[in-house]
Amino acid sequence: MHEKRVARAYRFELWTSIAVYAVLLAGSIRFGRPLADGPLRTVVLLLPMIGFGLMIRAIARHVARIDEYQRLRMLESVALAFAITAAVTFSYGFLETAGFPKLSMFSVWIVMGASWGLVNLVRGMVGRRTVES
Amino acid sequence: MKNDIRTLRAARGWSQAHLAELLDVSRQTVIAIETGRYDPSLPLAFALARLFGQPIDTIFFPDQETA
Repeated sequence: MHEKRVARAYRFELWTSIAVYAVLLAGSIRFGRPLADGPLRTVVLLLPMIGFGLMIRAIARHVARIDEYQRLRMLESVALAFAITAAVTFSYGFLETAGFPKLSMFSVWIVMGASWGLVNLVRGMVGRRTVES
Repeated sequence: MKNDIRTLRAARGWSQAHLAELLDVSRQTVIAIETGRYDPSLPLAFALARLFGQPIDTIFFPDQETA
């Protein structure tokens, strides 16, 4: 089945990239942190990003593998998630001005992932209802 | 755009999953095309026409004829 083949290939490539990231992260923490400041330390501490590079490659290959309708759906979902993320992060920016605690930039990615999940969940439920009716 | 894909598929006794496999697309894509929620690209429309052995304009037709 097309979607299962595509999902299997994506899972393999994605988990490989995550494994590479985890191994390089452990290595950079173990060997990079104790190094003296300098170019070598900077390079070693950045090494986990090779895993991220592989993740970008996995995602690019996945987008190329999925069919045209799935690609359109993905674009719509990402666009909606993008807009929701902007709304949430802008709102929190105003709340920070109002005295809420400052949050790390890393939280933006979490909001984006959660927004994408929410969009897919809602669209899936709406889609099922449309097919059933 | 409307289409006769559901009828043509049923006439051959094919499931949506089987048609999806023949076209190398997902079952969701076949469902979206059959229900008219998605108009396929020209290459996919030609693939459907080839598969059913019919010209494209006998499978797909506009909701309403324009001038």
